Amino acid sequence: MSSITLTSSDGVDISVERTTAERSVLIKNMLEDLGDSGEAIPIPNVNEAVLKKVIEWCEHHKHDPPSASDDDDNRRKTTDIDEWDQKFMQVDQEMLFEIILAANYLDIKALLDVGCKTVANMIKGKSPEEIRKTFNIQNDFTSEEEDQIRRENEWAEDR
Amino acid sequence: MRFQPYRHPKNISKRTSKSESTSMRMHRLREVGRCPSAAPSETSGSTSPERAADDDTDFFMAQANDSQSSIGVANFRDSRLSSEPSEPLPPIGRLPPEILIAIFSKLVAPLDMLNSMLVCRGWAANSVGILWHRPTCNTWANVRSVTTSLGKPDSLFNYADLIKRLNLSALSDDVSDGTILSFNQCKRIERLTLTSCKNLTDKGVSDLVEGNRHLQALDVSDLRHLTDHTLATVSRDCPRLQGLNITGCSKVTDDALLIVSQKCRQIKRLKLNGVSNVSDRAIQSFAENCPSILEIDLHDCKLVTSASVTPLLTTLRHLRELRLAHCTELDDSAFLSLPPQVTFDSLRILDLTACENVRDDSVERIVRAAPRLRNLVLAKCRFITDRSVMAICRLGKNLHYVHLGHCSNITDSAVINLVKSCNRIRYIDLACCNLLTDRSVQQLATLPKLRRIGLVKCQAITDQSILALARPKIGHHPSVSSLERVHLSYCVQLRMKGIHALLNSCPRLTHLSLTGVQEFLRENLTAFCREAPPEFTQQQRDVFCVFSGDGVNRLRDHLNRHEPQFQEEAEATMYDDDEELDEDEGQMTGLMNATVINDGDDDYIDVGPLNT
Repeated sequence: MSSITLTSSDGVDISVERTTAERSVLIKNMLEDLGDSGEAIPIPNVNEAVLKKVIEWCEHHKHDPPSASDDDDNRRKTTDIDEWDQKFMQVDQEMLFEIILAANYLDIKALLDVGCKTVANMIKGKSPEEIRKTFNIQNDFTSEEEDQIRRENEWAEDR
Repeated sequence: MRFQPYRHPKNISKRTSKSESTSMRMHRLREVGRCPSAAPSETSGSTSPERAADDDTDFFMAQANDSQSSIGVANFRDSRLSSEPSEPLPPIGRLPPEILIAIFSKLVAPLDMLNSMLVCRGWAANSVGILWHRPTCNTWANVRSVTTSLGKPDSLFNYADLIKRLNLSALSDDVSDGTILSFNQCKRIERLTLTSCKNLTDKGVSDLVEGNRHLQALDVSDLRHLTDHTLATVSRDCPRLQGLNITGCSKVTDDALLIVSQKCRQIKRLKLNGVSNVSDRAIQSFAENCPSILEIDLHDCKLVTSASVTPLLTTLRHLRELRLAHCTELDDSAFLSLPPQVTFDSLRILDLTACENVRDDSVERIVRAAPRLRNLVLAKCRFITDRSVMAICRLGKNLHYVHLGHCSNITDSAVINLVKSCNRIRYIDLACCNLLTDRSVQQLATLPKLRRIGLVKCQAITDQSILALARPKIGHHPSVSSLERVHLSYCVQLRMKGIHALLNSCPRLTHLSLTGVQEFLRENLTAFCREAPPEFTQQQRDVFCVFSGDGVNRLRDHLNRHEPQFQEEAEATMYDDDEELDEDEGQMTGLMNATVINDGDDDYIDVGPLNT
């Protein structure tokens, strides 16, 4: 089982099984294009803590069937997150969004998907004010604008 | 590099007054709110993540990846001064618009989307496209709300451009040309579903479609007033069309379809049920010009002959589904003139219902040419014999669905061979195959995945058959019956014992038909029946006996309370919920959705005088 080395943005080398790292389409393509020179691959957008977390996820999911489950079927079942993934995503918001950004950058669709679902679940069933509180977002609407949005989208309040 | 909130170079700090807003539409300015991740994506108009759950019922919904539609990112119509964030960004502020959109796409309830819109300006710009992607138009109140916003010149967003899917079929008869006039400015609709909006005419539909170069799928089934005029507009303006369902548009002619075939060459799904004027000329042109066709349904297109079928099969290499029910002109030459040695590996579904001039020679040829057929419907091909069934055996485990109703030459030995060769059959119909006896059904009972069995008017079968169906399968774990629908109308020899055992061993049973079976025509049992269809005569009502849904459970409970002597089978309650999902099972629902009503409810077809 061959392994490769990734260098995080803060300069830490992490050794990882090649099959695990290839959950990342970015890394997979890189290895395919350049061949495995044995040199460390720099991951300039992801720091050590986040990279370790992402590798942990890839390790757990390395035997998942490729792509098929990443596609439409999964997308439809919006709230379904597998139990391990739910636990995995129990991190502070800082880390949660870093994981999502890393998954996006490294092109790990299934992880990005789990991340987005996790955030969507934090939105579901909440009022705008509760959502703002959850994510610490400032309301920049005037009250007229809020009213206008409610009026123009009245149909969305159905049921 | 981390994502930084996008700052537009032309972030003009000019406050536009309301009165200017109309002119603002000409050159809408991008808005940067002070909210984190405020900027609408630069790639507005490019394909964004598909909105999550689709519960639309249009006929091509199942194939989401074939005609993926895009979600627009909106801009506020009204540009306004924006200021730099006055405090550090919260963590979520690092997410770029495309990821925010991916998150909003996971929301299902419009209310959750609306609440996201109300969070801040940035969220509004990135979620409004998802909310308006497919506005809910299932009630008049909603349609009024939607069209009012579309008509407002000073609305916050240009909603008309955000609508990608419009489905008015829930309002059916009440939809008029006037109703859809309000949607005329929506020129980016990709899927337009107007199923059974019967009062619509060319005027309404044609105007709505006119100038819409984004249209990918059009479902106008049962709009009987439509003529070639609408199709002329479609062929002129909608080159990206992939799905066309004009079921029941009986005024449409070959001429219009010929032009569609020449202009809309990306067509993948074509449904022309009951378009009685369509002839070989148009169909051959589709075969010639539209190489991407996956599904074609020519149900009841009586003018279509074998001269269409041969080119459809030989030139459309991706063809997955070919439905030719009631194309009564078809004969063996449709298949016997296929080039030898060529196989059609994509073909999964072939429906030849009532093509009675298709006989054994054809079936042998078809099975050789299309070895991966999964659904084969030969109902009412009444001249086929055991030779055909023996040929079908060669499909082996590929065969899941087979309909041989009214093929009354078929004998036990052929059915027994079929079951032994094709043990993945889930659906089988043998209605009116009256040579069949208990021997056939005892063999059918061994099929481990059988969900639906139709034996209407197999009058030789007895309780021996039913007890066999009720018996747990040997070596199959868990040994609970997978049967869901059982059609036994006019199996006049059946008694309580068999049915009672069947009910107790099939926990998934949702349909049991026993029309015309004397033993069950008792008031204390028919109390659990569903209502006979309104068009039935009194004589038909007298013998009608169909249990469905909860009626099945109530019948079971009743029998267990009042007929305890038959409760011999151990009651089965454990069932296996993670049954293997068949490869591309999900894909089969495309055009089939619309024909699901044909799902062999032979109880209706066959209800008639008992002496037949």
